[in-house]
Amino acid sequence: MAVKLTEPAAPARRVSARHFVRLKLRVMGNNFRGQGWRIALFVVGAVFGFWLAASGFFLFAAPGLADDDRYALMVAAFGGGVLVIGWLLLPLVFFGVDETLDPARFALLPLPRRTLVTGLFAAALVSVPVIAVLVATAGLVVTAWVLGGWSAGLVAVVGVLAGLLLCVAASRAVTSAFATMLRSRRVRDLAAVLLAVAAALIGPLQIFGLAAIRETDWTRLTGVAEVVGWTPLGAPWTAAIDVAQGRAWAAPVKLLITALALGALLLWWSRSLESAMLGAATAGPAPTTRGVAGGAVAQLFPRAAGWARRGRFGALVARECRYWWRDARRRANLITIAVVGIFVPAMVNIGGTGFTLDEERGLVAGGGGASPVLLSLSMVFVGVLASITLANQFGFDGSAYAAHVVADVPGRLELRARFAAFSAYVLPMLAVVAVAIPLVLGEPGWIAMAAGSLAAAYGAGLAVIGFVSVLGAYSLPETSNPFALNSGAGVAKSAFSLVAMLASTVAGVPVVVAAALLGDVWLWLALPFGVAYGLGAALLGSYLAGDVLDRRQPELLATVTPRR
Amino acid sequence: MTGEHPALALRGLAKQFDGKVAVAGVDLDVPAGSFYGLLGPNGAGKTTTLSMAVGLLRPNAGRAWVLGHDVWGDPVGAKRLLGVMPDGVRLFDRLSGAELLAYHGLLRGMDPAVVDQRAAELLDVLALGDAGRTLVVDYSAGMKKKIGLACALLHGPRLLVLDEPFEAVDPVSAALIRDILHRYVSSGGTVVFSSHVMEVVERLCSHVAILAEGTIKRVGTIDEVRGKRSLEDVFVEVVGGRTATGEELAWLSN
Repeated sequence: MAVKLTEPAAPARRVSARHFVRLKLRVMGNNFRGQGWRIALFVVGAVFGFWLAASGFFLFAAPGLADDDRYALMVAAFGGGVLVIGWLLLPLVFFGVDETLDPARFALLPLPRRTLVTGLFAAALVSVPVIAVLVATAGLVVTAWVLGGWSAGLVAVVGVLAGLLLCVAASRAVTSAFATMLRSRRVRDLAAVLLAVAAALIGPLQIFGLAAIRETDWTRLTGVAEVVGWTPLGAPWTAAIDVAQGRAWAAPVKLLITALALGALLLWWSRSLESAMLGAATAGPAPTTRGVAGGAVAQLFPRAAGWARRGRFGALVARECRYWWRDARRRANLITIAVVGIFVPAMVNIGGTGFTLDEERGLVAGGGGASPVLLSLSMVFVGVLASITLANQFGFDGSAYAAHVVADVPGRLELRARFAAFSAYVLPMLAVVAVAIPLVLGEPGWIAMAAGSLAAAYGAGLAVIGFVSVLGAYSLPETSNPFALNSGAGVAKSAFSLVAMLASTVAGVPVVVAAALLGDVWLWLALPFGVAYGLGAALLGSYLAGDVLDRRQPELLATVTPRR
Repeated sequence: MTGEHPALALRGLAKQFDGKVAVAGVDLDVPAGSFYGLLGPNGAGKTTTLSMAVGLLRPNAGRAWVLGHDVWGDPVGAKRLLGVMPDGVRLFDRLSGAELLAYHGLLRGMDPAVVDQRAAELLDVLALGDAGRTLVVDYSAGMKKKIGLACALLHGPRLLVLDEPFEAVDPVSAALIRDILHRYVSSGGTVVFSSHVMEVVERLCSHVAILAEGTIKRVGTIDEVRGKRSLEDVFVEVVGGRTATGEELAWLSN
């Protein structure tokens, strides 16, 4: 018999969603306390968000303001659908989710799952992006009201709110499910591949979509919009348009579809939430592999870094190579480069062609509009984007960086090794981009120029990033969710990346200018020049930034150590 | 192995965080060959002091010397003689134990053959050889402490600075760590470690310093500090704890 203690009294007050919202606001507020720059960054982010929201508002309100109901359905179905898909995919690919309220923190509290899900859901609604989307979709209410009077307007209000809930639920459910998958090491490779495929689909879909817009006539597109309107993607947004256009019966059905989808997503989320709460406890120890061949040093060096000498530099390169593969957070970044690196230049060069032709000759698609300047500009973008990944390279290490401080690793050596290891993964990818894009464009003669531009931009980017990573490092939360960011760090991340991106682009501009001015000579000169320029810039950058690093080692360690 | 310099000398080390004083001027001399315990309650500034002593945290004022080398003026000379196991700091935990040791060894500029030999020995002695290719992130708390200690010992430092080496370690691993530290000190090394576990300090240390509210309250050989009483009594008196009267928290008992 157990010792009888006092019976724990029934909770005096029920925990409701309100408590979660207040907790989130409090945590956000405390994060800002005494951190002026965080507040400034938050404000910048918010202003940017509302600027986007305002443009979205006018897009959604356009059919109403123009009093033209032909495009109302299309704007609602496609605009709304893009919003839902954006909420679904963007957190996975680019931004990460705000883990201000980490579900794992609630694991020990006696909360029913229903309370927890509604609470976390309500807390997730308190964010700048949600408010921005609310502002943007308010345009839909204007459209519905103008076209269909107050009844349509009211349905639009309900629809927009339901759609917003759907967006947030979708993003939470998907990231939570993926995070759970990535958390257990056994399936994380599979998950990474799935994620890459899902993200890679955006590109072709968009190209396909553009082609479809060019080649289909508008009536057929309206048909597509009608179909989309009956899926959860478009249902909440189009319900009011149906009322306005005299199909009042459709509105309740569409709202029901939305509600069902919302319920299913929340159910899915609550399932994966449970395993997220159990967290690392259920991940269990990885299977022990015995029978290790070779000594400790031989084990450290992966085959990719087998060329490196068994010294300080080699050890740094080897460890970085291991980390780019073993750390889910870093690997997610590599996948992003692979996907974006292919699809942005493809979009710019192929899509750009389409647009120019549209204006001149109507609905003819094909090559001819792509130019060396456009190509090298897009290559500069890819090169800069690849180097930006290192902007918080010390943040990835976190407090483990202390080992380098204690061993007094020279800054120049450290930066050179980090650049070398990252390049071991990225240069092959960039090479594929430099060959593939000109081939797709039907201009194999441009391969050398593309490669040269890429090399120059990537090297110049590394030089800039050397400084950014030393001076602008920030700590990442020590969770196993690769998508998690510290609240506030999301904005910090984009602000620093933006500055770095601008600076690196400026550093890469010479190759674009050369492409514009030098003509055919450049097609062959670009490769040797670009490689020399990039290599020189990267070495110079690691040389100069390395000195800064030597002076700032303890300060850098303090900034990348998560606050506890 | 007692040289002319103390193994670790601190003079007026001070640190404030956002205006809050964490360490307010610490002076300390750790004689070479001693087993030195830095005692203090939670939040006393032990970790901050040790971090400043080994070059992980820049002090607002004061200096530190390792065997005569200024930690902030001549970091290369000081850090060469120094092995550190920080507390609460992650290791590069996505490496296996052997990989981590090889990494630390090569970072210290050691010969690969020596690294291989010492890593194998350390893994064997610390009973980590069975873990094979398991990543350090999957190690238990005790195994993490042991691999951290191995990393600090690998390059054969003259001074070993350990922050809470016995925290969250099971008795078997703790005994193993104690044995290794004993052997290290008896062969001429110096150990400085922080702890708030009296029993461990009393058992191991030749010297003790009690740190509270950012200043050293008592310092000397263990017999000087505790006198005729137990170390715990001295500690509680110095730190100024309170004893429960039994009146509060009445609802806990039935």
